[in-house]
Amino acid sequence: MARYAMVLDTRICIGCHSCTVACKINNDLPVDMIYNPVTTIGPTGVYPNLHMTHIPLLCMHCDNPPCVDACPTGASQQREDGIVWVEDEKCVGCKACVMACPYGARHPNLEVGIVQKCNFCMDLVDAGEEPHCVKTCHQRARIFGDLDDPNSEISLLLNSERSVRLLPELGTEPYVFYIMD
Amino acid sequence: MKHKETTWGWMLAVDFFFAGMGGAMIALAGISYLFFGDALTATIGNFIGPIFVAMGAGFLVLELGRPLQAWRVFMNPKAILTFGAWNMTLAIGFGFVFASFRIASLPWAGWVWAQQITAVSSIITGLIVATYPGVLLGRHNARPFWTGPGIVSLFLLSSLLTGLAAHDLANSLFANTTNFSKLLAGLLVLQVVLWGLYIYMKCTGTTNREATIAQQWVNGDFAVGFWAILLGLGSLVPLIIYLLPSNPIMTLAGILVLLGGAWMRWMVVKSGEYRTWLPGEEFYLSRLPRGDEEFLKALK
Amino acid sequence: MINGVNLNQDGVEIKKSVCYFCHNNCGLLAYVKDGQVLKVEGDDSYPVNQGALCSRGNINHLFLNHPNRLNHPLKRVGARGAGEWEQISWEQALDEIAAKLSELKDEFGAETLATAGGTLRTDDWARRRFMNLFGSPNGFHNAHLCWIPTFMVETAIYGWCPFEIDMGNSRCIVLWGQNPGASSMPEMRHLSDAKKNGLKIIVIDPRFTETAAKADLWLPLRPGSDSALALAWLNVIIWEGLYDQQFIENCCVGFDELAQHVREYTPEWAAPLTWLDPELIRAGARMYATHKPGNIQWGTAVDQIGKPGGATMHARALLRALTGNLDAPGSDLLTGPAQDFITDEEMEANEWLPDEQKAKQLGSDKYKLTTWEGYGRIAEITRSVWGKAPTAEWMCEAHPPTVFNAIITGQPYPVKALITLATNPINSYGQTSQVIEALRKVDFHVSMEYWMTPTAALADYVLPAASTLERPTITSTYGCSDFLLASQRVVQPLHERRTDYAFWRELALRMGQEEMWPWENLEEANYYRIYPLQYDVNSYDEFVERYRFHFPEREYYKYGRLGFATPSGRVELVSNTLAELGYPAMPTYVPPAENEVDDPELAQEYPLVLTSRGGIMPYHHSEHFQIKEIRFLSHEPHAQINPETASKLGIQEGDWMWIETKRGRIRQKAEVTQAVHPKVIATERGWWYPERKAIEPDLAGCMESNGNVLTSTAEEHCDPMGGSWANRGLLCKVYKTNGKDGM
Repeated sequence: MARYAMVLDTRICIGCHSCTVACKINNDLPVDMIYNPVTTIGPTGVYPNLHMTHIPLLCMHCDNPPCVDACPTGASQQREDGIVWVEDEKCVGCKACVMACPYGARHPNLEVGIVQKCNFCMDLVDAGEEPHCVKTCHQRARIFGDLDDPNSEISLLLNSERSVRLLPELGTEPYVFYIMD
Repeated sequence: MKHKETTWGWMLAVDFFFAGMGGAMIALAGISYLFFGDALTATIGNFIGPIFVAMGAGFLVLELGRPLQAWRVFMNPKAILTFGAWNMTLAIGFGFVFASFRIASLPWAGWVWAQQITAVSSIITGLIVATYPGVLLGRHNARPFWTGPGIVSLFLLSSLLTGLAAHDLANSLFANTTNFSKLLAGLLVLQVVLWGLYIYMKCTGTTNREATIAQQWVNGDFAVGFWAILLGLGSLVPLIIYLLPSNPIMTLAGILVLLGGAWMRWMVVKSGEYRTWLPGEEFYLSRLPRGDEEFLKALK
Repeated sequence: MINGVNLNQDGVEIKKSVCYFCHNNCGLLAYVKDGQVLKVEGDDSYPVNQGALCSRGNINHLFLNHPNRLNHPLKRVGARGAGEWEQISWEQALDEIAAKLSELKDEFGAETLATAGGTLRTDDWARRRFMNLFGSPNGFHNAHLCWIPTFMVETAIYGWCPFEIDMGNSRCIVLWGQNPGASSMPEMRHLSDAKKNGLKIIVIDPRFTETAAKADLWLPLRPGSDSALALAWLNVIIWEGLYDQQFIENCCVGFDELAQHVREYTPEWAAPLTWLDPELIRAGARMYATHKPGNIQWGTAVDQIGKPGGATMHARALLRALTGNLDAPGSDLLTGPAQDFITDEEMEANEWLPDEQKAKQLGSDKYKLTTWEGYGRIAEITRSVWGKAPTAEWMCEAHPPTVFNAIITGQPYPVKALITLATNPINSYGQTSQVIEALRKVDFHVSMEYWMTPTAALADYVLPAASTLERPTITSTYGCSDFLLASQRVVQPLHERRTDYAFWRELALRMGQEEMWPWENLEEANYYRIYPLQYDVNSYDEFVERYRFHFPEREYYKYGRLGFATPSGRVELVSNTLAELGYPAMPTYVPPAENEVDDPELAQEYPLVLTSRGGIMPYHHSEHFQIKEIRFLSHEPHAQINPETASKLGIQEGDWMWIETKRGRIRQKAEVTQAVHPKVIATERGWWYPERKAIEPDLAGCMESNGNVLTSTAEEHCDPMGGSWANRGLLCKVYKTNGKDGM
């Protein structure tokens, strides 16, 4: 069995927003739905001693996803390979998951009345390809792969570099890891 | 890009208000029957309780993105929302059945054992409905203003307060009597104390993100709503009215209590829009279009 | 099935195309069925982007099908700029345009026609071919602001421009006024990869950019003061003995003279001019000179500082020579022109333009390096060594401000007709007030465009242009690389759109040039160009499908075999060619176009220094404001201002502010940031508002936030060598706007 995860290498992310657009275009999302914003911290410091980092965000595909527990219809689900996804048919748009998610990864789609989210492009992943945001990234700052495979690029990277996760204190056990400078 | 609610909106606050109030009314009707001889609440008040819960449920359905699929919320036994939906349905049922015992022409009007069982069921399900919003919100780790058990007592208290006030309004309007003034006054004191302590604890005794949003209640975006409306108009003014010896404006006090309860729920729901911002997220969001920009409207 | 589109259904073809939205030309795969593009994605096997695409790359199919695209030829029926058009047939449009051009040619001479092209959106050789055969030397681009002066200065000194950088083997790279982190994603990827292997990155930029944030050394100089910095680096490298003695002895001439010449230009001398610490200047020079092999990457910034531009390029070019970073592994390579396929220059028919017409090229009396006199001389020398010359389109063009001025004043002769293709000069050329005056005044204006731009709105005829997926493309670095990358047409032009090649050819047929246009379409022309490569293919499309690109085997140290294409056959540290053209043979200090030292009075009124920013994701030049799928990322114009300055001026983050120079004022929103020096204001360029009507006088808000309103094309601000005007290093002032809208 696989356990999918993503590493964001902020040492090389340049904040070009390619991933944001690739996701939106290829997943046919309305303009106001952004699964994977890239934020900018800084420049911090005082000119000319400065530092700047870009943080790509997305669904953390938590091991303990509060959004799945919150869903009254069973539309929000987690696959055995860790991917958290929404079965459109079952969703009634109650937004319980939106409120439950600490990462802002859940987005009501007003055009269809349901809540949608990043699902690691699971159709592509099932077909053996990479998520759109990963493929489009010139910098290869997004590394997607299987943590159950000790020889995968992502496993090797996480074993060799120190990484952090966002809001780990909430107990969500995110499977998105950040390598910081 | 349309301007839209990306989080729960005002309809959910209205749901919390009506359901909480109605749930408390159902429970109170049962309590008064079992322990005080069934004279403290008016028949119409007993009927209004389940009607309010049903109205709350109606707003809940309207808040959904796909209201016609509302039946699906009964489907996930592990979700608290599913539990809430089932309980609400039961409370509405028990509430109506219990109220119907007052109608003498119905064949079961005299079945005391049935009325007693229904009263107990009404108390249990009604209290759960009254408490439930607090439990739902308090479990949200992602929403710093809500998280923690404190919010549970505030919602239960407010439900009891508004439920009692609604019963008393029904009494004064339809039975020309008021039975709960002193009790209401006591609960209002409790409301002022508990809210004061809740905000104080959020500001000083918890995490930074909780303090950040609680500060908005002390001297930020929610300050006027908190001090002037929730504590002032919604608590202290009716408290004074209830304590007055002769009381020509008792109805006004009841209405103020209800308004205060509704307002509190709106502010609490609204405060849930604040999440712990991730690094850089606030600035990112500030740069996005609001939704009414010309380019969004004019360009295809 | 992927996101609702079944790409495996019957009849789906995968076409190998290319993205046109910047110079990198990333490879695309387009999934097509029945003439409909279902999806585009990056081409994994394409060497430039290896499957990746930036935000613009991802919207290629939206651009193709966008409802606001121009789809039919239009003829103006109301007053100019009133937005009243009549749809006409191509036949009628071409007949009328050809008749009008013939008439004007008869009355005023062929030079009365000027044409302007957009950035690599067009097949430039076709326009040049038409113009040469028509007899006009007055074609132009924004070339003077983009690489071309650099190319010509460097070719004058060492016989070709070493634009091909061998980054894989390099140990140090200087990014001089370049921010690949926002403008050149594939290059940034290579930088990141190389950095992991120890590459040192030096960024010279007044702004703390996406790239500066990843650099080993950041030199935030005063905008426009690059000349002082380059001279100080020459001084450090020579007088600290960091130069490559062997290369200088074997390959260069004039070292002793240069050493004496730069003796005065110490880092201490440069410090007050550049606002840099002398030790930081030294650190940069030492890092570049001691981490060999190394590169100096070209960036547009130096091409856009105006007056000091040529001297700066000259000094910068000598840094490579002193350190021996030329044509060695890991350094900047002198590949020379392509030897094995037909170059753009060979398609241009330059020999058909009579000498007396060449002499009439507007601006050629002043800016010799990028017009016929200088280009002609340099091309003659490169031909003698390489056998071929640089592309004349781009490298040898009329000087745009001089053309606009000729339209307005009729001097030195009347320019009555203008054809603009895929370019919006109102937003992309300098000193907008001059451009717009010329466009309002010109007698006859044809615009071939994708959109109803402010410029097209002022035309007499507007013709619908085919875009990236609707045309085949050969990418060969403006016709100057020794390699080529080939892409095919994905769909025939939609509606009544046509390629510019079809336009020029049809026009040419009407003007008696039949014999010179044997290729009926671009595929035929492209096949003719690649035929000498001798691949076993029968068509251009087949070449794309089976081979896609051609890279000749890399040969280092070609100068050992050929020498350098200069009069002396060596790298000329004291340049014969430049001297011959009347320019200094060695670089001297030229101050920024406007500055506080030479004009303290001006600095009193305009106390801040303006720099016009380059690439801002997601836009390119003045493009893409229509496409809300990317516009949302940055939907309003922002200018960067330091918090210290903002607070003095009572400006807060997000406030609208006026930015004003002697030329005019614009409003942009304040981005309060430490990224710039307290005295620097960095504006975004190009802004117009396609959501508004493109009619007079507003013309889609083309003057409101357009950075070019502030820039200067005054003769005293132009570089005397390459003719570039001043976009950066000008004096400005900033103040808060009044009222809610800020107007």
